[in-house]
Amino acid sequence: MASDSRYRLGVDVGGTHTDLVLLDVDSGEIAVEKVSSTPANPALGVLNGVNNFIARGTAPGSIEFFSHGTTITTNALLQMRGARVGLMITKGYRAIQEVQTQARDGNPFDYFYEKPEPIAPQSMTREIAGRIGWEGAEIEPLDEDAVRIATRAFRDDGVTSIAVCYLFSYANTSHEDRTRAIVQEEFPEAHVSLSSEVLPRIREWPRLSTTLLNAYLGPVLVDYIADLNRGLDEGGVETQQRFLMQSNGGVMPFAAAVQGGKTVYTLFSGPAAGAQASAYLAGDDAMKGIVTLDMGGTSADIAFIEGGTPLEVTEVMLARRPLGVPALDMTTISAGGGSIAWVDKGGFLCVGPHSAGADPGPACYGKGGDEPAVTDADIVLGYLNPDYFLGGSQSLDVAASEKALREKVGDPLGMSIREAAAGIRRIVDLRMADEVKVFGAKRGVNPQEFTLLPFGGAGAVHAGSVADELGINRIFVPPRPGAFSALGLLCTDVVHDYVRSELRPMEQVTADHAEAVFSELEARGHAELAEEGLSDDGARFERELDMRYTGQGYELRVSLDGLGSGGLSADDMAGARDRFDDRHAQIHGHAAKDRSVEIVSYRVRLRVAVPKYAPRPVGDPVEAPAPADSVKGTRTVYFTADTGTETTLYERDRLPLGAFVDGPAIIEQFDSTIVVPDKWRASVDAYRNLILTRER
Amino acid sequence: MAETTAATIDPVTVQVLRNKVASLVDEMHYHFYRSGYSTIIRESRDFSCVILDRRGRLIVPPPMFFHGIAYRTFVDSIFSLYREDEIEDGDVFVSNHPYQAGMPHVSDMGFVAPIFAQGTLVGFSASIAHKADIGGTNPGSTSANSTELYHEGLLLPPIKFHRAGELDEDLLRVILGNSRHPDLVRGDIHAQVAATNMGVERMKENAERFGADTVIAAFDAILNGAAEELRAAIAALPDGTSSAEGYMDDDGVERDKPVKFAVTITIEGDRAIFDYSDSGPQAKGPVNLRPAMVEACTFYCLVGALGPHDLHYNGGMGDVVELRFAPNTVTNASPPAPVSSYQKANLKLVDVILEAMAHFAPERAIAGSGSSGSLLISWQGGGREGHSTMQYEIFGSAYGGGKGHDGTSMTATHLSNLHVTPIEILESEFPCRITEFSFIPDSGGPGEYRGGVAFRRRYELLQDAMVVRRYERAKFPPTGMEGGKDGRASRFVSIGHNGDQTDLPAAGRFDMKAGEGFFLDKAGGGGYGDPQKRDPEAIRRDLKEGYVTPEGAKRDYGFEG
Repeated sequence: MASDSRYRLGVDVGGTHTDLVLLDVDSGEIAVEKVSSTPANPALGVLNGVNNFIARGTAPGSIEFFSHGTTITTNALLQMRGARVGLMITKGYRAIQEVQTQARDGNPFDYFYEKPEPIAPQSMTREIAGRIGWEGAEIEPLDEDAVRIATRAFRDDGVTSIAVCYLFSYANTSHEDRTRAIVQEEFPEAHVSLSSEVLPRIREWPRLSTTLLNAYLGPVLVDYIADLNRGLDEGGVETQQRFLMQSNGGVMPFAAAVQGGKTVYTLFSGPAAGAQASAYLAGDDAMKGIVTLDMGGTSADIAFIEGGTPLEVTEVMLARRPLGVPALDMTTISAGGGSIAWVDKGGFLCVGPHSAGADPGPACYGKGGDEPAVTDADIVLGYLNPDYFLGGSQSLDVAASEKALREKVGDPLGMSIREAAAGIRRIVDLRMADEVKVFGAKRGVNPQEFTLLPFGGAGAVHAGSVADELGINRIFVPPRPGAFSALGLLCTDVVHDYVRSELRPMEQVTADHAEAVFSELEARGHAELAEEGLSDDGARFERELDMRYTGQGYELRVSLDGLGSGGLSADDMAGARDRFDDRHAQIHGHAAKDRSVEIVSYRVRLRVAVPKYAPRPVGDPVEAPAPADSVKGTRTVYFTADTGTETTLYERDRLPLGAFVDGPAIIEQFDSTIVVPDKWRASVDAYRNLILTRER
Repeated sequence: MAETTAATIDPVTVQVLRNKVASLVDEMHYHFYRSGYSTIIRESRDFSCVILDRRGRLIVPPPMFFHGIAYRTFVDSIFSLYREDEIEDGDVFVSNHPYQAGMPHVSDMGFVAPIFAQGTLVGFSASIAHKADIGGTNPGSTSANSTELYHEGLLLPPIKFHRAGELDEDLLRVILGNSRHPDLVRGDIHAQVAATNMGVERMKENAERFGADTVIAAFDAILNGAAEELRAAIAALPDGTSSAEGYMDDDGVERDKPVKFAVTITIEGDRAIFDYSDSGPQAKGPVNLRPAMVEACTFYCLVGALGPHDLHYNGGMGDVVELRFAPNTVTNASPPAPVSSYQKANLKLVDVILEAMAHFAPERAIAGSGSSGSLLISWQGGGREGHSTMQYEIFGSAYGGGKGHDGTSMTATHLSNLHVTPIEILESEFPCRITEFSFIPDSGGPGEYRGGVAFRRRYELLQDAMVVRRYERAKFPPTGMEGGKDGRASRFVSIGHNGDQTDLPAAGRFDMKAGEGFFLDKAGGGGYGDPQKRDPEAIRRDLKEGYVTPEGAKRDYGFEG
């Protein structure tokens, strides 16, 4: 490390804005930047932001670490701007990609249902003879000539990316491996995505779908990373410590991303950064658990963190397509500041799923929107300051909010404007709370003892009501809710996930065999680290088994943490079995200790520590009421539709450490507003976090 | 029961409770399929969980919404068998009776649990799920050729499974004692009752918090709201009458006798009358429907034709539509007429109703679709070690073409929305090899808007097996509309040791040997509109994708390239 290296940079690219956080390693101070994203040339926005720091005096050579989260691949999928993909499948199985799950995912009453547009339509699909059986034995050899012919046809047809997904390839990779070798002979420039590498898991459709997504988006990511590398090099940012956020909350080096084989691991990198920041920064008092509430313009993202670790899933849907790689477990509902309220034909007040977005935005933006949005309700009830939106850079039109609420909700339902506004807020807040409850129940988590961590523009405006509904007694508002996700990029390890399916009754699996499977996956991890130029020192492997009761169709992940140091034994296997029963009982409420169990997949997670942001206390808090100079004035706030409460307004930046504010109160800052409801107290901790607690 | 009107409750609370019920139903489903044991639950997801009002009316539809009327029938039956003071907190009723409880067939077992709060009956939590085996003449219980209800399994009229929280162990023993797969049935019952009770507990919490009266009033408001929506949609239609009829291949027993479904729809102001009296006599084989199923088909078609994205289907719509039946017909059978293959009858009836509806809602017109069918393989050689001997799969088909839309290919259609079982799961758990899963070019009915393309699936048996196939559309393929042609008929073909192929009936029970096999072709959707009017670009695309062959393009569309 060079002696002048002093900064670490986190860059989170969203659909409209790019947030950057620059950490001074010595002082622990943080500087933030917000620039417009540049979808046409995505690297440009990032480099613009970096240049802003450089223009303000940061020497580019002093940036020693660069960590990045981006939605570029997800956006490419949503707009169907991925690579031209050719697909090779096992001969005779053209229906797999058509039938998919067979079930329709839309409105069950709509018989004009349509499936998502195919990534590789039939005209871009080639059948290759060759068949592997369920135990991995070859039933029919690979037709190598067919692979060669298909490859040439793809090359001549302008394909840049080839996906290969054969039946049972997770049990025997030889046909897919051989296919790649032939493709490399015939068409060396092609990107190749093998299903046995991308997702060596049982169930052909999710594996095929994931492989297709990797093939479709891999070249997009590879080109982008190349642009970014070039721009950083040219801008004098010399460090090669360049990392990309993954959906699982860890980062991977750019060197791994440009291989293209792991693109599908990065598709949720943006939201994962926020959850990762929450896990890392919410402090020991939140160790029981955290519910994150990222409420933006169109939606609210909710995630759970238990014991300092975000919950994960192994299957997610992205734009109606299954994606089978680990991702932080999040749920999204259409409840954002721009979500539109309307009255349906049955005379019910509904909120969302349509959103006014940023343009025209809620009626109060005055950009021609005449539909009332959640932000309009917040304005009319007095929660938001019409003259201090984004620090006063935008003023809001209260009359427009009132008009929209009256015309679209109040008059049709015979309610006053304030009743309409209060109704909208109540529906949205309860929907968020219900989603937290159901999501928690599905995961075997009871969030009542958890800390609620709101971020995004509207999170802290609604967090108090959501917490009241959930019986949560503690809310944690970070110093800069707007830049929180970018900060999360400086709070994570390098993580690689490996999986291999091998469906067997557990009693047929010896400890030695399990050890051998794990060792093979770990050897792969060591090899990849070497390729990426990362040291093995401090590398840690975490082993898990996907297990289920014989006859069940869905697996639970069981951690082997603490079992089998120095090689798995029969006792360790029995221990894993016990853990599975416990986990089943925790999640589903019942277990069957006498029932036989199957192992479906083996998982290894490789973790390598990289330098992380460590928040430091700014000083010693002195508990005292907020000083007079932090008060900005008062405003009438309607916590209920019929009673206005004259409520004190505070400026967050003027609250000293230890200062407390008793609700009802409103605390304003540049990029957010914090509502402190009645019976709650907000106090500033040593890190300038705002901690809201309910008086019990 | 006291009637409460919507006027006494504010619309915000109504919406809050509607959202809560929707979340709860989602949660019940999740736990059930993630912890169910049989492939029917965990892979196909052939079940539903619901919350009902005090009269058994559905509040928010589950994915298998067509169970809605069956639940109401079950609850009606409970009230006719038990006095209200005999229904206690903690009770769980069970029934699989197609006539007494309206269950789709004997394999579908329903559980219904009352929700009491503040001393008042607020509603019911309930579930229906297909059981792996409940006795009867066939392994797997589902039958293509039963001639009496009694052939289809153990019959449970509505009775108490839990009394005030106590499981009746004797009754459970009776049920398991009648099953060829007691382990699967026990595991699924366990998961199903747990999901049902979860609904009770969550709704109790809501009732304690909002007040039992408020929940009751909110339910009424939700149901009345849906009824008003539908009434307004019907009022917007032109008055008049429209009829249609159609045929199923046969009933699985009397193979030379097509089964007739007929409807006459009359619209008068904001009222709709669906008259099924002209349907054929009740069938000897298991394709009979009861009014609960017919009513479900009726509402599916009404909502689908009048506005699937505007109308919120629930049990409140029942009051808006009048249904008429003649006794002892295939749409209103009497016990002990067998009912096991009800779904293909439902799906034929849906095609017929939609054909008649096209007169009133031409912009939502759709040609005949390919129906749904099942395949059951009972492995006679012990199956694969450590796994069940019963393999059960459900297959979709393809939609008909419609006004402005090609039919969607290779999907579950209409009422049916079950998952296909992955090949890698099947071959890992059962002694079979699936050697082909492809699509059938030219199977979509020609039309200005082409019918959906069907798939073929081919099996090789590695052990002796008893195979039950339940499907149709071999003699009467999905019908075209407005000049569109019919879709390709279905086939079920056995393959002998020497490769000889023999066409088998679309429904029946067959004994096969290891080394033999079969393939099944699903029916393609019917076409909509004159094929000569099809956009040449669309034909070129079909040729490029292989959905239509060059010969087919020439023959069906006069297209020479």
